[in-house]
Amino acid sequence: MKQTFEVKDKALLEAVELILAEIKAIGADEGETWVSRNALTEVYYELAKVSMVRTVFSDKVSIKLLKDKRKGSTTLNSFAPNDIRLAVQEAWQAAQSAAPDEAEGIAELEENLSFSAGEEKPDLDAMYGQLEQMLKDIRQDFPKISFDSIGIEHNFGEKLYANTNGVRLSDQRGVHQLSNMFIAKEEGKSSSFNYFATVYENPSDRVCEESRVRRLLDETQQQIVTEQFAGSFEGDVVITPGCLENILYFVADTYLEDGALISGTSPWKDKIGQQVASPLITFELVAEHPDLPGTSVLSGDGYVAENMPLIEKGVLKNFSLSRYGAARTGLPRSKNSGGTYVLGNGDTALEELISGVEKGILMGRFSGGQPGPSGDLSGVAKNSFLVENGRITKPLSEVMISGNLADMLQNTVAVSQERESSGYWLLPWIRVKGVTISGK
Amino acid sequence: MLQDFLQAYVKKYGFSGYTELRAQQNRNRAVMMLNGSLTANNSGTSRGLSARVVKGGAYGFASGTGYSDDLEAISRVVQTATSNAAFLDSRVQRGKPDFPANAPFVRKDGLEHDVPVEQSYLLGIVDELDSYIAERFPRLLSRRIFARVLDMEKLLYTSDGVISHSYVPRSNVYVFMTTQDKDGQPVELYDVMGGYGNFINTFPNAEDLFGKLEKQYERLILKAEGVYAKPGIQTVILDSDLAGILAHEAVGHTVEADFVETGSVGGPMFGKQVASEKVSLVDIAHTAFGKLAPVPVFVDDEGTLAQDQMLIENGILTGYMHNKESALKYGHTPNGNARAYDFSDEPLIRMRNTCILPGTDKLEDMIASVEDGYYFTDMNNGQADSTGEFMFGVPMGFEIKNGKLGKAVKDTTVSGVAFEVLKTADMVSDTVTWTNSGMCGKKQMIPVGMGGPAIKVQINVGGRS
Repeated sequence: MKQTFEVKDKALLEAVELILAEIKAIGADEGETWVSRNALTEVYYELAKVSMVRTVFSDKVSIKLLKDKRKGSTTLNSFAPNDIRLAVQEAWQAAQSAAPDEAEGIAELEENLSFSAGEEKPDLDAMYGQLEQMLKDIRQDFPKISFDSIGIEHNFGEKLYANTNGVRLSDQRGVHQLSNMFIAKEEGKSSSFNYFATVYENPSDRVCEESRVRRLLDETQQQIVTEQFAGSFEGDVVITPGCLENILYFVADTYLEDGALISGTSPWKDKIGQQVASPLITFELVAEHPDLPGTSVLSGDGYVAENMPLIEKGVLKNFSLSRYGAARTGLPRSKNSGGTYVLGNGDTALEELISGVEKGILMGRFSGGQPGPSGDLSGVAKNSFLVENGRITKPLSEVMISGNLADMLQNTVAVSQERESSGYWLLPWIRVKGVTISGK
Repeated sequence: MLQDFLQAYVKKYGFSGYTELRAQQNRNRAVMMLNGSLTANNSGTSRGLSARVVKGGAYGFASGTGYSDDLEAISRVVQTATSNAAFLDSRVQRGKPDFPANAPFVRKDGLEHDVPVEQSYLLGIVDELDSYIAERFPRLLSRRIFARVLDMEKLLYTSDGVISHSYVPRSNVYVFMTTQDKDGQPVELYDVMGGYGNFINTFPNAEDLFGKLEKQYERLILKAEGVYAKPGIQTVILDSDLAGILAHEAVGHTVEADFVETGSVGGPMFGKQVASEKVSLVDIAHTAFGKLAPVPVFVDDEGTLAQDQMLIENGILTGYMHNKESALKYGHTPNGNARAYDFSDEPLIRMRNTCILPGTDKLEDMIASVEDGYYFTDMNNGQADSTGEFMFGVPMGFEIKNGKLGKAVKDTTVSGVAFEVLKTADMVSDTVTWTNSGMCGKKQMIPVGMGGPAIKVQINVGGRS
């Protein structure tokens, strides 16, 4: 919910007013601060049992100040006035030694707003019940699955951004999150690990009713006994939605965000308005979406984030640049520099997307290093299956893929109608041709 | 330095049942310069208090950011943890007894390293390095320097009567250089320096690092003019960085007892040959080869006195890493692997300083023994899983042709199944090198040390045909 600026927890307001007053008093030209207060409640499973209930109360403060465009910043986890004064002094001292940077600055005043969503209080009984139910469902429907850990969390917090330009923004949010890691095992053999994370609103939801969760558990059970193949070939890779999130993270980091553009290493730095991907690709950063409770409405540098296309029908529309990145590169500041990814669905049914593969793999997870600045990518296709003549034929291990991120986007030949959501991304399956796939 | 307010709390309230009470302060500093512009100039402190209570085998944990002489605030954290344990105990009703009590002891470790460092000192070092690179290395497309400090101080009281106050400092400088190859494609290489110690002692001046910068630039230019590796199974000498990450990621995680319990490959292989008999692997607690290990742990966060944990002895899998609970379950001795990153984190089973023990071979003899293969010198991130299958990025290496180093090799990867690869290790060098910059992720991040000699193995290389 969006409304005019109003902070529920007055301690936050008092802390930011003190910080901004101290920033001015010490002689800084400009300054900004984030202040937050959170309560996290977690029910945790490990060593084959529900093992722990955990409560974390945390206060966080970050302070940035500028003097003659020289920046100093500090973080602490206390609202105590003395601690705040010391922290401002520390940031001030850091700024004294810093070189001036004309690109430095703080957010301009637009409209002061507050946002809120979700439940404030955790329902511990419901969270415990949800975990018990999940374990019961999985033991019944997926008996080979063994969990290393499961965490069910409720996190409620209010955070407040304020700066010396008069900007005041706040967000109060309660979300549930489930994360885990698991394998499948049988007769002394085990699969690769797998995982899923879900952000959701209702702790009474039955997690195993979600089709994505059932698919992941089912595929992992099929991965206990795998096969390898020798040699290498050039073929199609079908990338599953969860794996695609990982690939898109690499795309954003390598081509679209501050680091790559400030350093000048992004091969896309001059390609706004040009075709950088298949016309089937529409890639958007999302701040608000009815199916995504895990989005973030405030950017890290003090703006209200908006939905923004990065690539539309294959054409590069926007970079994902912060205020600082924009000032450094001379490019416009992006309406969203965060990380909630939505890829538009295509017009190919998933079944058809797979049946179009003559020889290739279905890749459930990518295990590989960060690509270099050119986007060259190489790593293990985990939780993968061989696809031959349009059919998924066998689970694989020790299979690697190598290619280039930009080439993969250009060589995307199909995007599925179906999409999956984790609560913080919404993505389809895509089929990429011409990827080097190598076996043992 | 953290003041000891816990003693007064314990004196006044004592403990009711098994309890760990920990005050902790992590101090961070970060300075980053990208092409001469300062993009990060931050210092930070994370300070607070946590309590973990066990009732009938059910854990309750709570933490708060306030840590002061307000004993009532400390009491509220303990009460919340107690209430959480009681809630879970009422649901699971395991009825387990408390862990066997440790003999009480008091230790203070590393407190002399708590030396104040000004942010301006980091800025000065980074600025000097940046200027040197800008002036001396004309072929660079970009340069990035990142100085980082992480000092962790913990004060632990347990209901067993253990009192431990420790301080573990870490200081690193990362240097990233990017140039272009003949096709205009960017080529990057990074180096990381430093390790255990406060920043001033670790980096007394910038000049001492200039030689390393020269070497890094020289290697980057070789890489830009280099070739792609051939894909497939190859004879490869993995230098210590890669041997260390192989030991940590691909073997270490599979022999953490919680992962064993889940079903990792380390379970069925206990007591069996998992590597060549030339390979021995140990998780060092605090001291190795007569020196302090990169991340010394003298007492873990459950109050266990830390000892080395042998994992593989002459190729045989002989041990797991444990916390108190898993050690009890497996009938083993806990050796101090229960570690927490922040005050708000509970202890998890973690590695400390995993190291393949040195062999007897000389690196030059190892290279001379390879007719057609590779010498891989650097690593970047790596991943492994429960089966021991792994993949690591290799940002730098060299061809070996007829026993001699050849052209440099561009970015590639190595992959395989750890125990299968280690069984092919037929030469192990006599020199161990440590890295102390890594953070291991497993619910929480934690600093770890990784070390090893160079090892010669057969391994899958993800090159280009």
